[in-house]
Amino acid sequence: MAAMTESTLPAQPLPSAEVLEVTPDDLEDSAPGASEDHMLIAAESYEDINVAIDEQYQRGKVGGENEKTDKTENEISQSARELSIDDTRSTTPSDEGRETPKEEVSMETKERSNSVLSNRDRPQHVEEECYSPEWRQRQKHVFILSEAGKPIYTRHGNEDKLVTTMGVMQALVSFVQDNNDNIRFMIAGSHKFVFLNRPPVMLVCVSHSAESTQQLLLHLTYVYNQVISVLTFSQLSKIFERKRNYDLRRLLTGTEKFLDNLINLMDRDPMFLLSAVRCLPLASSVRDIIGQSIAQAKAKDLVFAILVGRDNQLVTVVRMKEHSLHPADLHLVFNLVDASTSFQSAESWTPICLPKFNSNGYLHAHVSYLDEECSACLLLLSADRDVFFELSEARQKIVTRLNKYGCLQAVRESLGKGSYKVAQIGIPDLRHFMYKSKSTAQYTSSELEAPYTEEGERHRLFGMYQYLHHRVHNSARPLKILFHVGSKETMLGWITSGFELYATFGPLVTKPAAINAINKLLRWIKKEEDRLFILNSYTY
Amino acid sequence: MAGSRVDCKVVLLGKAYGGKTSLVERYLHDRFNAEMPYQNTIGAAFGAKRVEVDGKIVTLGIWDTAGSERYEAMSKIYYRGAKAAVVCYDLTDDGSFERAKFWVKELNDNEEACRVYLCGTKLDLVQENRKARKVDYHMTTDYADEIHAEVIETSSKTGFNVSELFEKVAEGFARDPANRQTVQICSSVQQYPSTSLSKGAENFQVTEQGKSRGGCCS
Repeated sequence: MAAMTESTLPAQPLPSAEVLEVTPDDLEDSAPGASEDHMLIAAESYEDINVAIDEQYQRGKVGGENEKTDKTENEISQSARELSIDDTRSTTPSDEGRETPKEEVSMETKERSNSVLSNRDRPQHVEEECYSPEWRQRQKHVFILSEAGKPIYTRHGNEDKLVTTMGVMQALVSFVQDNNDNIRFMIAGSHKFVFLNRPPVMLVCVSHSAESTQQLLLHLTYVYNQVISVLTFSQLSKIFERKRNYDLRRLLTGTEKFLDNLINLMDRDPMFLLSAVRCLPLASSVRDIIGQSIAQAKAKDLVFAILVGRDNQLVTVVRMKEHSLHPADLHLVFNLVDASTSFQSAESWTPICLPKFNSNGYLHAHVSYLDEECSACLLLLSADRDVFFELSEARQKIVTRLNKYGCLQAVRESLGKGSYKVAQIGIPDLRHFMYKSKSTAQYTSSELEAPYTEEGERHRLFGMYQYLHHRVHNSARPLKILFHVGSKETMLGWITSGFELYATFGPLVTKPAAINAINKLLRWIKKEEDRLFILNSYTY
Repeated sequence: MAGSRVDCKVVLLGKAYGGKTSLVERYLHDRFNAEMPYQNTIGAAFGAKRVEVDGKIVTLGIWDTAGSERYEAMSKIYYRGAKAAVVCYDLTDDGSFERAKFWVKELNDNEEACRVYLCGTKLDLVQENRKARKVDYHMTTDYADEIHAEVIETSSKTGFNVSELFEKVAEGFARDPANRQTVQICSSVQQYPSTSLSKGAENFQVTEQGKSRGGCCS
């Protein structure tokens, strides 16, 4: 945000009267892309982390019986509120450092900058040196450690070299815990330190990106869920019950790439931020045939069948009638497919835990690509671990049917075409947008075009969306509509009960022109909703 | 599809980064990509291939399992009912042979009918540089005699001994009188078509053993 302060007008919400004026009634009633279908669970942004905060708060509360600790807690939440408000106003590096603890950490880290390169169990992976200037300047660090302070994972560098730093993190967390409280975050200069305590592990994010602490907490929640997805919660807690100082890396070998990939995805894919998934644009007739074909190839205890195209685009989900899929679980499935090429060569059979579905048990996934080009990956998730061959047979039937009706061809064509250009909509000044239909937990967005095709600009735009998202979802002061004028673009965020819309315009657009454009855009999405969203799903 | 078909379930076990996937890739698709970065297997990958032994068709259903320790608890899913196990170890890593011993014990305890083949991998690295060898050949043969297994050293890079290994597996299966019955059972069970992805893979069938249940691993 620093880059744009020079000519930034103060961002301000439109008066509510004006909001009502510009809201077409028909669109309020049925938001484009809305559906009664419960294929995916409609999830709110931050849903998870609010629970996380509540839990942490509760846990602190239960122990905190004497007045004094209660007071501390109040003080802390008070200052936390201040901080988060501050956070909304500006995230410029000039922001004064607020407290000292960070100093200690960096002193600690400075002392040991002469560590050597060594590779962990990631063969052929070049490790960067911990505590090197490059390492320090990384925009976002993510660490996982056990409650005993043992390193489990670091995004950058080798966690073996971070024993002391993680020890400090553990000390910070337990120091605050001793007062029956929980540390949530610290802000020091442009750096945010965010903590997520999920016994028996804790997660820490250190970042100097534009993201809000809530958004970083969301990242940590996803990273935690990824660990659960590999191990299940029951296995994780059992291990540490048995041996408190267990080295969890032994069980996570080979999983680092999923964690790495997930964190990288979160830095560029809005699906996590929006708590929604993007569908591959397809004619609804084609999508229906795909859904039917998959639903017809039934197999015992098949819970979910998921077909996903390149770049994390959902083609369809077929599910057991009584179960719906949570977008957060689907994101982990996407990450599994996205992070690994090992599914491309053969049919695979792997256990996977979907934390929202059941954090204590595994589903068994038959994973295979449906064509030689590896454009679409089919996952058949069953509760029975002995049905590989049944599912393999079901898959074969699906492939035969999809080929017969030319569906795989249609999927390939849509993937080849990419998303749609914003020019197709015919709204001058509109550069890019993201639209989430709340009831279906799906979103659609136009292709990124110049100037956002360049990596730095794309990153900056994503940062702007994060900022916009943060402002409208700020728990201290949620907004319905936000018109933000920046030096390089004007952004509009709009939240209703049915949708969330984030749009980017040229810098010179006026407020009325933007509102007009948005109404036109909503009508266009409504017209295209059959193609852009999955409105009917099939069940077993 | 003439001739009696047999499905022989083969499972590959061994330490992570031991070369199991490369071995299967070389055998099923006759390819080896030195440039490709290492990809650890997720769960297990399945592939099948038909071979002829003494005029009979044997279909090998090969399970390439993940070496990571977290799958250990559920490895039974993959080796249950296996007729043969190829326990792989990296000739340049002595720790991987210790891990191989663990798998041999696990198999002896749970799958008595399973024939064990000890397979040393990455032979090309050892031939290039004798000092790279960390697992002594005679030590492995001594151990193999002890457990009634066979030893074969392979290179997936050059293809050396790879098809020989799987031919041995197929022969061992087809010539074992204990498997006669399976031949008859198999000729009546349904068929599973080959996948479009596994080039060279052929139809295979599931034996009765493949469907039996047991163990617990969730």
